[in-house]
Amino acid sequence: MGKLTDKLKQYLKPGYYDKFDYHWTMTIDLDRCTGCEACVVACQAENNLPIVGEKRFRERREIKWLRVERYWEGEYPDVKLRFIPMLCQHCDQAPCETPCPVAATYHNQDGLNTQIYNRCIGTRTCAVYCPYEVRYFNWFSYTWDEPLEQQLNPDVTVREKGVMEKCTFCIQRIRQAKDRAKDDGRRRVRDGEVTPACVQSCPAEAMVFGDLNDPESRVAKLAKNARGYKVLEELNTAPSIVYLKKVNPDG
Amino acid sequence: MSISVRDALLTFKTPALIGLVGVTGFIAGYLIDMTIFTDTAPKQPIDFSHRIHVSDNGIPCLHCHNYADTTPAAGVPSVSKCMGCHKTIATDRPEVMKLAGYWENQEPIPWIKVHDVPDFVYFTHKRHVLAGLECQVCHGPVETMDRIARVSTLKMPWCVECHTERKVEHGRDCWTCHK
Amino acid sequence: MEKINRRDFLKFIGAGGIGAGAGLLYGESTRKTVELLIPQVVTPEDYSPGIATWYNTVCRLCSAGCGISVRTREGRAKKIEGNPNHPVNQGRLCALGQAGLNALYNPDRIRTPLRRTGDRGNFAPIDWDEALTLLGRRLGNLKIKKQGSSVYLLAGGLRGHIDTLFYTFMQALGSDHYLHYEFTHPAALYAANRMIFNQDILPYYDISNASYVLSFGADYLGTWLSPVHYSQAYGHLRQGRTDQRGKCVQIEPRMSLTGASADEWIACRPGSEGLLAMAMVHVIVNDGLYRGPDRNAWLEATGPYTPEAVAAQADVAADVITRLAHEFIRNQPGLAIGGGSAASHTNAAASLAAINVLNYLAGNLNTPGGVIFNPDPVSPASPVARQASYARLQEWIEAMAGGGVDVLITHAVNPVFTLPPAAGFTEALAKVPMVVSLSSFMDETTALADLVLPAHTYLEAWGDDMPEPGVGFPVATLSQPVVKPLYDTRDAGDIILSLAHQIGGELPVVLPWTRIEDYLKDSWKHIYGQRRITADSGGNFDEFWNAALAAGVWGENITREPLRFDGVAEDRIRALQVPPPAFAGEEKDHPFVLLPYLTQAFHDGRGANLPWLQELPDPLTSIVYGAWVEINPATAKRFGIREGDIVEVQTPSGSLRAPAFLYPAIRPDVIAMPIGQGHSQYGRYARGRGANPLEILSPLVDEASGALAWSATRAGIRKTGERAPLIKTDGVTRTLGRQILDDKPAHT
Repeated sequence: MGKLTDKLKQYLKPGYYDKFDYHWTMTIDLDRCTGCEACVVACQAENNLPIVGEKRFRERREIKWLRVERYWEGEYPDVKLRFIPMLCQHCDQAPCETPCPVAATYHNQDGLNTQIYNRCIGTRTCAVYCPYEVRYFNWFSYTWDEPLEQQLNPDVTVREKGVMEKCTFCIQRIRQAKDRAKDDGRRRVRDGEVTPACVQSCPAEAMVFGDLNDPESRVAKLAKNARGYKVLEELNTAPSIVYLKKVNPDG
Repeated sequence: MSISVRDALLTFKTPALIGLVGVTGFIAGYLIDMTIFTDTAPKQPIDFSHRIHVSDNGIPCLHCHNYADTTPAAGVPSVSKCMGCHKTIATDRPEVMKLAGYWENQEPIPWIKVHDVPDFVYFTHKRHVLAGLECQVCHGPVETMDRIARVSTLKMPWCVECHTERKVEHGRDCWTCHK
Repeated sequence: MEKINRRDFLKFIGAGGIGAGAGLLYGESTRKTVELLIPQVVTPEDYSPGIATWYNTVCRLCSAGCGISVRTREGRAKKIEGNPNHPVNQGRLCALGQAGLNALYNPDRIRTPLRRTGDRGNFAPIDWDEALTLLGRRLGNLKIKKQGSSVYLLAGGLRGHIDTLFYTFMQALGSDHYLHYEFTHPAALYAANRMIFNQDILPYYDISNASYVLSFGADYLGTWLSPVHYSQAYGHLRQGRTDQRGKCVQIEPRMSLTGASADEWIACRPGSEGLLAMAMVHVIVNDGLYRGPDRNAWLEATGPYTPEAVAAQADVAADVITRLAHEFIRNQPGLAIGGGSAASHTNAAASLAAINVLNYLAGNLNTPGGVIFNPDPVSPASPVARQASYARLQEWIEAMAGGGVDVLITHAVNPVFTLPPAAGFTEALAKVPMVVSLSSFMDETTALADLVLPAHTYLEAWGDDMPEPGVGFPVATLSQPVVKPLYDTRDAGDIILSLAHQIGGELPVVLPWTRIEDYLKDSWKHIYGQRRITADSGGNFDEFWNAALAAGVWGENITREPLRFDGVAEDRIRALQVPPPAFAGEEKDHPFVLLPYLTQAFHDGRGANLPWLQELPDPLTSIVYGAWVEINPATAKRFGIREGDIVEVQTPSGSLRAPAFLYPAIRPDVIAMPIGQGHSQYGRYARGRGANPLEILSPLVDEASGALAWSATRAGIRKTGERAPLIKTDGVTRTLGRQILDDKPAHT
């Protein structure tokens, strides 16, 4: 009986795992972000995002794993605009993982919310449950006008019609970093060795990525910043992305 | 007049059995196609014999497939690598003359891929070789083959079985192999 | 079990047989086609399969000159990243730079040389030998007849040794007519820097270490001069230091991308930026915040520009002007910079000069966090002399129209799109007997050419670059091909060298190289000789060259004496005045000022053929695949204009139609349009989409610099009654109390 309650107790803790191997986390400093969207194009290039075309945008069927949202405040002339990049938060208590009928999306041992295209049967339940609206469905099989397909990244699957997709924290780069670490003799991946495409491109250095389990990593220190918060925190999704509030100097 | 549910259903007994036989036949036909009608050892443009090169002449795997322990792809040797030996060795054999023909035209030999995994799979030879796996574990007794044949299914359950048995670190996590 | 009767038995056999047959057919039809395993013929030296090879080169999509590292797999370019070694961008890259692969692999690239057949606009392919002979002979004949000066070469912002090559070639032909023209060329800023600082090249704006950035319309995070570098500097200014957070103020008629990130955004009347700067100069000197020996001269020069006098003209309260002036001086080191609207009126150079004076008074010249004059660039000298203002180009247009131009060669420039039609370029082009384009794409100018000699895209080409603005120390970036050329195109440098050999005479003597790579390598011997650090691993020249290729960049960041600035000459002080802006059109017919603006994705329209950028939601409006007219919401309400209503924008020089967008941060008397769409050529992604605001500009000019005053056109708007709902990704752009931005403000 005791063993059973112990086993059950683990489901009361946040997340599915007692501890993560790596706990990939990102911080986005909104006081540095300029809204330039270099990250958006970098993600498109790295992850074989399709060129959906004008018609699909009209139907609200665009696919942008990372988007920059803008929010206005006030009225002219006292008007302010604030940007916030929004991408899959890799929630440790992801609302999208439980309802998937085929477990095509689940939380892995590195704190990532995975999306396995082969398993996905396209019920789109996960997209409905995601409060951040960061899941995108392939309503069509998209093509690239020749020779644009020459640019496609061979380390990332090209998705077909009928599957969901979303930000993976550039799992292909994480995989490669782990591979290189193994080549060097079974050591851990060091801070700064793996950066997703968006983080690498950001001109203002607003995004930082790393392993929260490594107390010396930049991201672990930034995640404790006083300006840190999580979007829609009250929903208890336990996101892996910590945003740092933009500073309002007038207080 | 009323009849029982059992009696009502029994009128469909024969059609249901026909359907069942049909479905079973379909599955059987598919499996036959996958095994008997699948060519696991297709004829190659040149009848290259691993037996002659490996068993008889003692060439190690990594001599030709030199990228296997350094890159994700094992690689097939370039035409120039073959010509390295065959410029002078066995030049009278008809298959070697075919090779010389390709080299003269500076054309690559269009080998038919026998071991293939789908594009959505990340498979790295380097990791497996460096983990100490002998090539024969997956590729079978290549040194005895006159024509290379696929002996393993290369399908996911086969991969997962080995990953489970050998307790590969995070080997059962989907994202380890699925891109 | 009951017995099976024969009929049923046959049915079972039949069903089983058909099922098996169906299964077999299904297996056969879903079988993967046979895949071939193609080996290399010769073992490749520079890559292993499955492992990426990286090449460092230069991004040429704007004039900043960021260094890039391109990841290639099996000879194909896969991803562009910033080059971490490069001091301009330090490993970072902007949206336009990231989209560069769309240019290399663009489906609408010109793949062979073309020759006009019939009317202009129709082409047939020809081979290189024929094309080069055609052009070479014509140029040769002109040279023999001593008419080499009727050959004109117009290039986009070209720098480095390719520019020197072009220049040498033209000189050897006997022609002085070699100019660069870019819409984004800051002619007014160069004039203002000459006026106040006596500097011919742009300074280094040290935003990174500043405490205060007072920007008059300069979109330094989006499009101004070197946006990647300044964005990185901005990040550092905000959160890179533990003891302070810099403050940013933006003064402009329409909120730009940079304005969105500013702490304070002030909407001034178009063209009044210089007046505001003068008023601030007045306050600083009058209120004793500047105590230099030339105080009185400045006080006298700015006498009429009191805050009260300027407040009415600029529509900015006098106490705000005074407060900003005090804040600027009190928060040094700080920077005052100008661009955008401030640099595109008839008083552009004078306005920017007044802004320069603010820096001088603040004492931030040549100090960290201020305006640091750049040392002379690495050889060759910066081709600033060749950068044409609009007025200078007008001279060329007159020459063309007058029949004085026999051959016009264009490279990386599209004046038919970027010049307002009122300039008369397209008509003048019709008078030029031979128009040659070296473009990789069929843009509007290339469509009117007689001969197209397509050059490689920048990712396939050799070259080098000395970034302008410089970064405070000598830097030279190498550009090398990252892939084999895709099509039958040639390196622009190779085209010139081939022509030189075709033409003969003294040209092959002056340009004996046959390959651009050799020319470049020989040119770098000069850089090698100029190095001050010689006792390093530079080694002999070959080692130096290989090291530079591998790193993609060479620089010498050694401490040098800060350049002296001896103050502004008294006659310059006395001459300083900022006239009010002049506009084309009367207020009663054209109640608005039309403000075209550059976007971070399209710049002057060059990015419009890149599909990733067409798909990129505009950062401020989230609109994709189109152009729009921004109207203040209160103004729109007055006119009864809803979002998506097609309005006609009428200026004294023409009209266009575009859907309206209600933009919250624009003056009620100003309308704005993004530049970049409205192409009539330029490939499937750009063509026939949106409208080009440059088409309806009136050609007013800033006399002091010759720059086109592209914000000086007044416009009227008229509802057409038609609608074309904008395609955008935004829904509601207010947080509505949702904890998205977590509105509890943080304290510094």
